[in-house]
Amino acid sequence: MSPRLKISKYVIERLSQIDTEESTGCLYGLMYDGILLVVGLSLELFEKEKNTYNQLLLNLPAEIELCGVIKFSDCLTIENKTKEILQDVDITDNPLVIIISQEKDIKAHFLVHDKFEETSYEVMEKDELWKQFLHVRLNTILPLTCEATIAGVKNILQNKRKKIASGQVSFHIDGTAVYLFGIASDVGVTGTSTEANIGELIDSMSAEQPSKKKKVNIHSLDIVPVNLVMKTTKDILSDKLVKTAVKMMTTQRKPAFCISMPLKVDTLAMIHRNTKLSELYTVLVEAACRSLRLLESVLLEQLGQEGIGDGAGLRLPETFHYLPEQLGHFLTRVVPKAIPDESMERERIQLHEQLALPTDKPMFRRGNAYTTYGGRLVNPHEALPLPSSGPNVTVALVRGRYTYHHYMQDNFNDDGWGCAYRSMQTIFSWFRYQGYNTTNIPTHREIQECLVNIGDKPTTFIGSRQWIGSTEVMFCLETLLGVQSRIIFANTGAELQSYTPELIHHFQKHGSPIMIGGGVLAHTIIGVEYNSEKNETRYLILDPHYTGADDITTVVGKGWCGWKTSDFWNKTAHYNLCLPQTRPCI
Amino acid sequence: MVRTVYSPEYCLQYLEQYASQEIFVTGLILGQITDARENVIHIARTPEEKGGEAISNDGSFASEKQDPVKNLLGVSEAWVADHAKHVTRMLPGGMFVLGIFITSDEDVFEDPNYFSKVKTILNYTYKVLNTNHLMFANCPHSNERLILHMSTNTKVLTCKSIEVGPSKNVAIKPVEWKFLSKPQQWQRLDCYYEFDEVYPVIVKKSGISVKQQFQQILESSHKTIESSVMFLDGELKDPSEQLEQLIKKKKTKNSSKTAQEVPKSMHVSLFVPFENALPETVEYLECDGSIHFSGIVASSVFMYPKASVGEAIAAVKQDIIRSLASRFTMHCDALIDDNLLPEEKVCFNEPPRRVLVPVGSLYLCDYLFPGEAPAEALLSVRELLDLQITEADVICDIETPADTSEFDALDRDTSSEELLATPQEASQFMYITGIAFAFLVLFVSIFIHYYDSISEFMRKLLTIS
Repeated sequence: MSPRLKISKYVIERLSQIDTEESTGCLYGLMYDGILLVVGLSLELFEKEKNTYNQLLLNLPAEIELCGVIKFSDCLTIENKTKEILQDVDITDNPLVIIISQEKDIKAHFLVHDKFEETSYEVMEKDELWKQFLHVRLNTILPLTCEATIAGVKNILQNKRKKIASGQVSFHIDGTAVYLFGIASDVGVTGTSTEANIGELIDSMSAEQPSKKKKVNIHSLDIVPVNLVMKTTKDILSDKLVKTAVKMMTTQRKPAFCISMPLKVDTLAMIHRNTKLSELYTVLVEAACRSLRLLESVLLEQLGQEGIGDGAGLRLPETFHYLPEQLGHFLTRVVPKAIPDESMERERIQLHEQLALPTDKPMFRRGNAYTTYGGRLVNPHEALPLPSSGPNVTVALVRGRYTYHHYMQDNFNDDGWGCAYRSMQTIFSWFRYQGYNTTNIPTHREIQECLVNIGDKPTTFIGSRQWIGSTEVMFCLETLLGVQSRIIFANTGAELQSYTPELIHHFQKHGSPIMIGGGVLAHTIIGVEYNSEKNETRYLILDPHYTGADDITTVVGKGWCGWKTSDFWNKTAHYNLCLPQTRPCI
Repeated sequence: MVRTVYSPEYCLQYLEQYASQEIFVTGLILGQITDARENVIHIARTPEEKGGEAISNDGSFASEKQDPVKNLLGVSEAWVADHAKHVTRMLPGGMFVLGIFITSDEDVFEDPNYFSKVKTILNYTYKVLNTNHLMFANCPHSNERLILHMSTNTKVLTCKSIEVGPSKNVAIKPVEWKFLSKPQQWQRLDCYYEFDEVYPVIVKKSGISVKQQFQQILESSHKTIESSVMFLDGELKDPSEQLEQLIKKKKTKNSSKTAQEVPKSMHVSLFVPFENALPETVEYLECDGSIHFSGIVASSVFMYPKASVGEAIAAVKQDIIRSLASRFTMHCDALIDDNLLPEEKVCFNEPPRRVLVPVGSLYLCDYLFPGEAPAEALLSVRELLDLQITEADVICDIETPADTSEFDALDRDTSSEELLATPQEASQFMYITGIAFAFLVLFVSIFIHYYDSISEFMRKLLTIS
């Protein structure tokens, strides 16, 4: 019997936007409760006779598997290459084939006994997806020592995978007494009831009331941290017990080179909240093995390169997890430490193309990685109701992620003078989290030092409480990030409205927050709404003068982040706006 | 509250036997300190000093057997410390040398000369046992050592304690020594700790010795084992809980069984988390080969049933490290060539293996070198523990000696061996050579079996021609 089919809203949206010359794509999904949920897709590039989807699977969280193909055509014909892909589908006996017509009509079929059966499907909304599914994140460090050759690395990593799959490892859920055991032990789970599921566990871990239905925030998803412990004792009752006493064997070989490193395993699995803890063990083993394969490929690639072929220049692989807004699932990348993002552009272009993502802005640079943002509020404006749209209303908002910087943060009292600095910090955070750079967000002092260094201010400026304005913001962005800005002067607050088209254009093209200074106040504009019928402009303002705690309810409820009409601006004051520009890149 | 020590009753007879012969004897008190109770497990006379050794040092020729030491002042503290060092190797984790006993006609507590000698012996022993901290020879949470004295005149038994080590506390404290009429029950905890480590051989300018390599292994194993999480019978237990309570809880679960049962051994499993303190870089090293350190350490620890889970965990961890340290020391002491990389391509170091010897109601251990018979253990038990046991009492199958054919096979063809090879590969190779050898044996035996008929046949052939 074919499973019930659900398709994530993300996949539906991406499918309807895809404009490609490729004829085939792959679908990725996971099974739960007899339902096949499609969560991701890729275009099959058929490069170098290698099946790119097999490599891509290693970048996806465990449990997500290849589940079918997409055909960009109006009829249901399957060529050999597509057939090969379908044969690789293990997650279900009935691979899925989705046909997308020229008119972007989506039809789903299951392949049942070599015959296509059209099937209906349900769309899983984004909120629902993040509510029903959560992630476990396994972190561990495996000490790795091996000969500095391709064979040596392959061999040792195969051994590590074998060891992890042997049932000798146990997984420990951080901060709990819960341990999950493999077949080498008699018990499966300890520290909780065997029937417990992961959703209940995470509810009991968080201090909040589980009954209170909290709004899902994509910037702080439920991620269960897990670590790994290795069983070092043998089972006394096992018949296979070999009791040879400890001994040491030394084998000489000269000359030889070896590499030694702490191999950081950091891997995700996407699971339904109802997953039983006892079922989690195999999921984690798979997650660890995926990670080891990914790490291996990065090590081998380096060893194969000229210059570091002997291993002397080998760099530690580092793992990053990404959740681009339109993707709908995590994607994990491993890159060699300290290799600049700029020199790895080729791989990223391929990834963007494979995932059918836009190629004009970075998504998989180090800065794009999913983080915890140091306790700051991320995109507080997303908690506001969307402005009503209509045929006469144009809305343009900040794109991507930024953090809210305001007075009194970092135990630093800047009440009364630091608003432009804070507005600048918000802009810096935007550039950082969009992946344009990895520069840390500068402190007030670093901003002042920068302005002194470029000769804009005297040395007495450092440590002072002097105000800065839009031009200083522009100078710092230029000096510290290499970002160019456009400056707009408005003689009065009333004149500001005439620049509405420029602001809309800015958000649509660049999407960065705008700093505005006028009179004695600085603000950050993160969106505009223009009603052509009434000829009215509203501004989405992020106010850096807030002195309270980072609590979303207060920030949104008291209007520290909110929509303001033109009356917000002082009719008689001059205004300067700094519009940071972006360049298309990956 | 006066410190109280519980001892098996036979220790009294043991002391009386020497006291009634009116001879001066000194020896060691062995036992376990837990928060719940202090138990002595055995007392053992320090063997008489071998005259030969002492004399050969100062070059005289009087190799005749010396007169036995007549009183305490003649005892060499180095000799007692050496006894303590050797006995510690035989103790499972959680057991320590707790002090000394003396039978003499003088009152060692009253006479300042004698008492100062007692202090010297105890302090010197403390110092010697501290030299190798991975032997865990000095009890980690008490520096108070027992002095048990039985007067040969009055047969009066007195026990006191003094503090040894860095403390300047000179107070002599009274100790109550109680004999138990019934043998003490012990909770046994067993595990097989497995090693399977591959290290590169990094030769410094000064070269590398087996001893240094073992020391490195010992230190890294110590760190690993200290960081490990321990489960009892497959479950994580609260460290403050009593071992006895765990058993009782189980009993109530399957209440059909009678309470008369001997407490079963608990199975210990250890899980090691991976270290997070490694430097975040790739090290690139020139190496001269690889070391494969593998095999098991069988551990059997005995705890007072009212001891806590935490105390048991500490004892098991100590036991594994102490056992490794003991083997390595014994192995290195017996080495002729301490070079880790001799002429041969493959070098095999097989330290002695552990066997168990019964003492009272529990087991201590001893170590047998490859090729040594269990009878060797009887010698150390007699010499160091002053006990007579029979060969049948020695439990020698807790660990097995290494299969040296593995090493032979590797030695014959090291070129086929990959650097840092997996043990599986090695055993595969062994398997093939094993079969080949079996065939050879078969042919030879067939030949021998039919030798007569074959030779007759040959003779016939020759006569015809």
